[in-house]
Parts: sequence; C-alpha cells; structure tokens
Amino acid sequence: MSSISVSSAVLKGAAHHYGSQCDKANKEFMLCRWEEKDPRKCLNEGKKVNECALNFFRQIKGSCAESFTEYWTCLDYSNLAELRQCRQQQQAFDSCVQDKLGWERPNLGELSKVTKVDTSRPLPENAYHSRPRPEPNPVIEGQLQPAKHGSRLFFWSW
Amino acid sequence: MAASKVKQDMPPPGGYGPVDYKRNLPKRGLSGYSMLAIGVGVMCFGYWRLFKWNRERRRLQIEELEARIALLPLLQAEQDRRQLRMLRENLEEEAVVMKDVPGWKVGENVFHTDRWVAPLTEELFNLRPREELPHKRFGFLWYV
Repeated sequence: MSSISVSSAVLKGAAHHYGSQCDKANKEFMLCRWEEKDPRKCLNEGKKVNECALNFFRQIKGSCAESFTEYWTCLDYSNLAELRQCRQQQQAFDSCVQDKLGWERPNLGELSKVTKVDTSRPLPENAYHSRPRPEPNPVIEGQLQPAKHGSRLFFWSW
Repeated sequence: MAASKVKQDMPPPGGYGPVDYKRNLPKRGLSGYSMLAIGVGVMCFGYWRLFKWNRERRRLQIEELEARIALLPLLQAEQDRRQLRMLRENLEEEAVVMKDVPGWKVGENVFHTDRWVAPLTEELFNLRPREELPHKRFGFLWYV
C-alpha cells in the first residue's frame, strides 16, 4: 500500500476539502483507534483512510492541478503556512473544484462538530485488558460513633 | 551747532506706536473635560477595533485548527503503520541476534499485561544508526 508522499503545505491546503470528502473513512478510523486503543486492530480502517486520501489527491490532480499548485506554493511561502495570506488563490482553487468536481468547502466550525459514527465493528469490552477488580470491603456491622474526646491525631497534621 | 548732515538711524516720524506691556495669557483651546472626553473616545475606539480583530483572529485560529483536525486520521494511520513496521523489523532482528541465547523468548512482552503499550522512541530506533534518533526526537520543534 503506497503512502501519500506530499509535503505539509499541500496537505494543509487541501485539508478542508479532504475533511469534508473523506469524512466517513476518517471518522471510522478514529473511532476504532479510540475504542480499541490498539493500532494493530485498526489496520483495515487505516487502509481505507489511505485509499480515500489517495483517491482524493488523484481527483485533484486530474482536474484542478494548476490552481492547487499555485495555492500550496503560496502557502509554502510563509513559515507557518498561514491560511489568511493566500485568500485569492484559495478562492480560485475553491471555485475550480466546485465547478469541476462539485465539492464545497465546509464553513467555519463544521469540521469540529461532534459526529456519531455508524460501524459494524462491535464495541470491545475491557479495552484496557484490566485484571478483575478486587472484592469490595465487607459491610461494617454495628453502630459507628464519633471518637470519644475528639481525634487522637489532633496535634499531627501530616 | 550746525544740523548734522550725517545719515543716522532715527525713530520713524511720529514716534513709535504703543507698546503693550500688560499680561497677555489668552484662554484658548479645549477645556479639560473635552480633552478627557476625546482621550477616552480614542481609547474606546481602539478597544473596539482590538476586540473586533481578536474575534477575527479567533476565527482564523479555528480555521487552522480545523485543518489539523481534518488531517489527523491520515497522519495517525501513517504513523501507526510506520511504528508497526519498525517493531516488526526489530522483532526479526532480535530473532536473528538472540538465536543462540538459551531461554530467550523472542518478542516477549516485558510487561505483565496484554494491552498495547506505546513503544518508546529509543526502543524503535534501537537497531538503527545512532544519527537517526536525534532527528526523530528533535526534528520537528515548534519553539527553540
């Protein structure tokens, strides 16, 4: 399975569209990872994530390559790849993608919403593999009174 | 005494005009209250601009964080695969190296539990050339 070999500016430039297109595979993988707490059990979902990402970048390369190249070159210019410096190129890329592929850029706050994921994988019980818990203490019989003459540890504070 | 014909610097005919010698401290300019009002007004305007820009900065920050949120599954999946591949290579090296040691179970878990323990960087890069470890540990720094 081939890995995505692109630089950080490319990823950041395409991030918003990637988040809205490859949403399903991403959310399933993250759910699996968080529930099982074991990367070995989530390799299939990870493979689907990779395939989705490869597909995504292939589609961009197929239709909107030039405007995307301009966009991420502009992002690459600054140290932190600030999105606000490259609004023009972002506009061009957005309109190109919307015309050719029908993708809409998600509005502010849509990617950080909490979603419910529907999976066929069952919930693991005891994901932490914890040992059986010890028995609780037996119930104390008899009436409990406060100590006569107050606490014996009055003068010691530690 | 004859009238001198020498050119001298004399006062103008009719004498000089009146000289004002009395105090002249005119009351002019804005009053104190209005200056205070203008100062407070300028400050309020500055605060309003600042709050607006802070809200805009918050929106920009949310946008950048959302870009990170969108990319996290990809990065996490790739890192998982990379870690598991490194652990696999280490396991095979270990089987080769400790072949003749009696009583050594290859790939034995050093903990008494079954769950996944995140491998340390030193553990992963144990059998690689020494220069790779600082690259992994210090290669990406947000600050210096």
